[in-house]
Amino acid sequence: MDYALQQLLNALAFGAEYSLVALGLAVVFSIMGLVNFAHGEIIGVSAYSVFLAAALGLTSPFVAVLLAVGMAALAAVVFERIAFRPVRYAPTTTGLLTAFGVSIVVQNLFMLLISPKPQSVSVLNGLNQMWFFGPFAVSSLQVMELIVSGLTILALVLFLSRSTLGLAIRAASRDFATVRLMGIKANRVIATAFAISGALAGIAAVFILARRGSVSPDLGFGLVLKAFVACVIGGFGSLPGAAVGGMLLGFIEVGLLVALPQEYAGFRDALTYAIIVALLVYRPEGLLGQRIELGDKEI
Amino acid sequence: MAGSELSQAVDQMAAPTGAARSNNALVRSLIGGLVTALPVLVIGLLVLNFAPTYYTFLALGAFVNLIVVVGLQVFMGNSNIANLGHSAFVGLGAYGVAILSTPLAMKKLSIPNAPFGFATLELDPVSSALIALLVVGIVALVSGKVISRLSGVAATIVSLALLIIVHSVFLNWTDLFKGNQAFFGIPKVVGLPWMLVFAVLAIVAARLFKDSRWGLQLRASAQSPQAAAALGIDAKKLRLMSWVLSALICGLAGVLYAYFAGTISPKLFYFQMIFNTLAMLILGGMATVTGAVTGVIVLSIGLEFIRSIESGVTVAGIQMPQLLGLSGVALGVVIVLCMAFRPSGISGRHELDELFSLLLRRNAK
Amino acid sequence: MLKVEKLVVRYGAVMAVRELSLEVGQGELVALLGPNGAGKSSTINALTGLVTPASGRIVLDGKDISHVRTEDRIRAGLTSTPEGRHIFSNLSVGENLRLGAAIRRDPAGVRQDIERFLSLFPVLSERYGQAAGTLSGGEQQMLAIARSLMSRPKLLLLDEPSLGLAPKIVARIFDFIGELKAQGLTLLVVEQNAKQALRFADRVYVVSSGTLRYDGPPARLADEHGLFNLYIGG
Repeated sequence: MDYALQQLLNALAFGAEYSLVALGLAVVFSIMGLVNFAHGEIIGVSAYSVFLAAALGLTSPFVAVLLAVGMAALAAVVFERIAFRPVRYAPTTTGLLTAFGVSIVVQNLFMLLISPKPQSVSVLNGLNQMWFFGPFAVSSLQVMELIVSGLTILALVLFLSRSTLGLAIRAASRDFATVRLMGIKANRVIATAFAISGALAGIAAVFILARRGSVSPDLGFGLVLKAFVACVIGGFGSLPGAAVGGMLLGFIEVGLLVALPQEYAGFRDALTYAIIVALLVYRPEGLLGQRIELGDKEI
Repeated sequence: MAGSELSQAVDQMAAPTGAARSNNALVRSLIGGLVTALPVLVIGLLVLNFAPTYYTFLALGAFVNLIVVVGLQVFMGNSNIANLGHSAFVGLGAYGVAILSTPLAMKKLSIPNAPFGFATLELDPVSSALIALLVVGIVALVSGKVISRLSGVAATIVSLALLIIVHSVFLNWTDLFKGNQAFFGIPKVVGLPWMLVFAVLAIVAARLFKDSRWGLQLRASAQSPQAAAALGIDAKKLRLMSWVLSALICGLAGVLYAYFAGTISPKLFYFQMIFNTLAMLILGGMATVTGAVTGVIVLSIGLEFIRSIESGVTVAGIQMPQLLGLSGVALGVVIVLCMAFRPSGISGRHELDELFSLLLRRNAK
Repeated sequence: MLKVEKLVVRYGAVMAVRELSLEVGQGELVALLGPNGAGKSSTINALTGLVTPASGRIVLDGKDISHVRTEDRIRAGLTSTPEGRHIFSNLSVGENLRLGAAIRRDPAGVRQDIERFLSLFPVLSERYGQAAGTLSGGEQQMLAIARSLMSRPKLLLLDEPSLGLAPKIVARIFDFIGELKAQGLTLLVVEQNAKQALRFADRVYVVSSGTLRYDGPPARLADEHGLFNLYIGG
């Protein structure tokens, strides 16, 4: 029973992290059709900021968390301004390849300017402890991950349903030109979406740093690939789909962890991806996705 | 542009399928392919006759990249869907021949516990290559069935998933693929002449597909899915077709790489190869086979130059530090700048032979 | 109020609008008529800035807005209800109305305006919390116009308000447009449906193939070389 609960918490915590990152991808994709492969490098910028701040003597975990989230949001907005704005109205493939290029550039800049080797970051290690509830021992990090992700998603939902800018982001996901006809500044909507996307990545970065205690150039790349898969399985561009897809991915991974014998542990990623691809055979548009309707007249 | 290409496709379909007419088109496309391959042939022959061994080795690597990029063009250029998993097929081709053709004595050292009797099997290089390509074809057919049904973005993500699955199998099925370690002892039976022959063949095949009825229909449906569907074009089938052909050409590149290098390891067929070959195709221009060739030539030379700086050069007697990551930054910058300022790459929309005939016509006037 | 001089809109090699000049005076309702593909929507989109004209000048209240961004034109008091309505189908009726008032900074006034439109169109009140995509075509058109009015524009451009709607509903929508005019709003209405558009029009422009063919009062339109029949049909 203890074991089952532990694994359930595991799955929920993994799933929450994937959901955060996948939501960040979906927010940006839904309004401007950009498949942001550089999302992982936003996590990277966030983590390296904490590393550099610690090297300069800023070792308060509270400051580190603020810095991680703030820098991630800033990095996302800067990426948009420099690299994605020129291809804003270009076909999806052009935007996708641009983002892929940005990802390569930033990853290699980490290598060039800091180091190809992992760098130790211990500022946030305090978040990762064992908590004891009577007979149960749980990881504080996992509990926090679950609570913080839940609160973040709740805040996102409130923002999107209450504030004018939030409404504009939702409206822009269907019809950007008409949002501009409401007098709402396109650049502001897009910058806000990127800032949200970045902040979500920053929160994920805090948890990754606390768990791993180190940062390396490819820190976010693998995680973002998984988040993309979560988006695809949830239905690309759908926000609820991203959250659900992320959770599903967490459960599949932990399920395989439990089910696979130790000697096959290396195949876990391969099997996870294979299961997802197999699901797509039955639902090509994803779980919560809609078939794209061709023939809608666009301005 | 969408309209003109579509109307071309319509013309092609509406045209009477007289044997003479289709033969004519075939010959024109064949000649076009050979003209496109001409610069490659010239460079290859120059290297073969004059270059020192070190450069021959570099050229062989560049030719492998060339075949990969041409293979990538077959899918990306015609379907306009980004493929980020093609190096999986290169790896499958390479590991296929490694497992089948490595001499038994070597296998005792490298994969003594290989399943299915592979530890005691040694085939000649040609049968090995054919079987390896058959495996590539089967994997491509199965994955293509999924990918051809998805929308563009989802297809790209699944191509990535395929790469990760294949890489993970290479790494973890150590009895068969030797895991993270180098797989050595593959017979080195391919030199520059064979490499040249296959490079030219790959270019011609890519051109023939692009100019064929299927290639035209696929490009038309990528430009305007509704119009193409209204004409009864089965885009899924065509995407699958180009995916499999693309995979086979990439698999061939892997076979050739294994046969010239003699040693392979999984990391060769992972993201680094994707970055390199994708940047080459984008720089050259993915709409044409000429673009694929141009991109490989330009970027191979450029990257070699950057790598020499990266490993630390001596300028005026001062040893510069190593700059790891410089070539990666350059590749990424190439992709980003191309996409922002010239998405059609260096060669734009015209093949080399089409450019020649355009020039001739203009001079004639 | 609005003055357009020698407007040219191109899509690549195709010229959609050729040196079109027109004027809309304060408090006027001007109809812009013409067959399908005449360049009417291109003109409207150039006026709102969603397409960039190749040349020409657009002057609003004496200020040249030719190079002003769409967002800022709306803030300057010009707004448009696009062809095909373009309501935000994934947002609720109420949210659509709130977005229409995005540029306003008087929450109390916004609430009042919403109340006013809800009492004017009771069906919008009934469906207030529902996704706007579930409304019928006519209801969507009402919502789209109300949404445009939420920004309190000085000049409203209406692009094909009758598109795809039953005659009875079209008549009701034009009744409402007539009321708006009576309240002092300046309007430029683009239509293929000439009969309805001419009910309240002070002046009429007729375009075809991107060129102006007629400019004058509605009454004279019928006499001019059968223009009415030629371009608009009976």
